[in-house]
Formats: sequence, C-alpha cells, structure tokens
Amino acid sequence: MSASDDQADVERVLAGDISAFEGIVGRWQGPLINLAYRFCHDRGRAEEMAQEAFLRAYRGLGQWRKDAVFSTWLFALATNLYRSELRRIPVRMVSVPLDDIAEPADARASDGGLEDHDRDSAVRRAVLALPAKYREALTLFYFHDMDVTTAARSLGLPEGTVKARLSRGREILRSKLPQRLAVPRLKEA
Amino acid sequence: MIKDEEIDRVLSLKDEILPSSGFAASVMEAVRREAAAPPPIPFPWKRALPGLVVAGFALALVLVAGVVAITQRASTTPQFSAPLPFVMPPIFHGGIESAAMWTALALLVAFVSVKFSMRLASGRG
Repeated sequence: MSASDDQADVERVLAGDISAFEGIVGRWQGPLINLAYRFCHDRGRAEEMAQEAFLRAYRGLGQWRKDAVFSTWLFALATNLYRSELRRIPVRMVSVPLDDIAEPADARASDGGLEDHDRDSAVRRAVLALPAKYREALTLFYFHDMDVTTAARSLGLPEGTVKARLSRGREILRSKLPQRLAVPRLKEA
Repeated sequence: MIKDEEIDRVLSLKDEILPSSGFAASVMEAVRREAAAPPPIPFPWKRALPGLVVAGFALALVLVAGVVAITQRASTTPQFSAPLPFVMPPIFHGGIESAAMWTALALLVAFVSVKFSMRLASGRG
C-alpha cells in the first residue's frame, strides 16, 4: 500500500473522477473492516460500519490535510465513527459484567488449565467487557501492532493518556481473569 | 495472575476476516448515489432577510413597549390597572407589562429554536 497511490486517488476524486475512490476502497477495505470487527466482533455490523466510514471519508476527502499520511486520517475518522456507533448501540457481550464472563466455562480437570481456544476467548471477552476507554485503547494498540503513537493518533489522544489507559486496562484484565489462565501450557514445553 | 506477555500474545493474534465479495461494489454504489444526489439546499438568506428584519423590528418594538409600560406603571397610581375581560387568557390579567414580557420571551424562544435547528441541519450536510 503506497501513500502516493492514496494521494493520487484522492486528487482524482476531488477533481471529479469518482471511480478513483475504488482504488482507496480496494486498498483499505480489509483494514477498515478488521478494525471494525475488533470493536464489535460481528462481521455484518463490521462491514456496515466500514461502509459508513468509507462514505464519510468520501464526503470529507477535501478536509484531509496532507501533513499526515492518508491512512492516519482514514483510521482516525473510522475510529471516531466506530466508537460513536458502539456508544449508540453497544455490543451485546459488553453488557455482561466482567466478573461474570471471566470465569472459564470449560475448565479441563486433567491439566488444570484451559485449551488455547478457551484461554484466548476468555481474554478477548474480558477485553470486550472493559470500560470503553480502556477497551478502545487496547483494541487500537494491538490493531496497530503495538504502536502507541499510531494508536494515539487514531484515538485523537495524547500518547501519555493512551499509555496510562493501556496500563490500567491490563491491570483490570490481570485482576479479573482467573488464575487458571496463567498456568503455563503443557503442550508448549 | 495472568502476565502482560500472555495478554499481548492473545490480543496480537491476527484473526483477520476477509471482506465479502460484494463489499467494494456496495461501497462504490453508495458513493455514486451520494455523488449523484443534489447538494443540500442552502438557506435562502436573501428571501428571508426582509422577514427577519421585520421580526427583529417587531421584537425590539415589543421590548421597548414593555419597558415603557413598566416605567409608566411604576410612576402612576394602582387604580389605573382595570381588570381585563374574563375571555382573555390568564397571562393578560397581570397587565400590559406582563403580556409584553411573555410575548418577548415567546419571540426569543422561537428565535433560539430556529437558530438551533438551522445549526443542526447545516451540521449534518
């Protein structure tokens, strides 16, 4: 994905060639849908939110200041939209209290731990049950390959605030997830 | 207690989903619809200006009349306030200054609500 391709397509769209927007959609549909999916864990809703993000990007192309790369602007726009959409209609899983979902449903008596899938699923559900500000920071941080700077730009927050939210979010996860999740996996030995 | 490395490992897993086959086409269809739609109609300021000027003038007149009535009432005797007929709404029973105040307030509320709704409408465009 080249920044110059994005810039060229944006200029063509602004000059009236709507079909050039197809290039932008083609390059960014995967990342935007996956980002939405990380927020809502619902494929259909993720695509709806991503489509709305593209529409808003199309409407606001003229507002993109070229001092930031196009993807940063696009992710910030999409993140804002996803956050407000989820505030409007929250993910159903989030309504489950963190204390309730943390307890594993499928504990294995034989090794005292959980299978990988259950472990991963418990951690993810615990993230979904976090308060929004911690959940958003964690979601963006891992989506951007643990890059605090990019996550902070997407959220429109100072890096220090994002770092503090990441730290607090992890702290809540550590305290709420059951002890058994921390047992080393025998299969890896 | 679960370690940060474990949280990092789980949340860094790339369980990526692929866009549906028709996703890009659907987005482009929506974009073309958007582009084909006529631009939002701007508020006709030129046409509305005379009406707004008249309304502003009327508002100022009511306010001035209200202030004059209040000052005159303060300097005259109480016997001046003859009771109004029973057919009048209760707010007029309090005298001309009360009616003027209510009218001014109503005009002000109407003005604020028009401005607010216009701002909302332009923000969505």
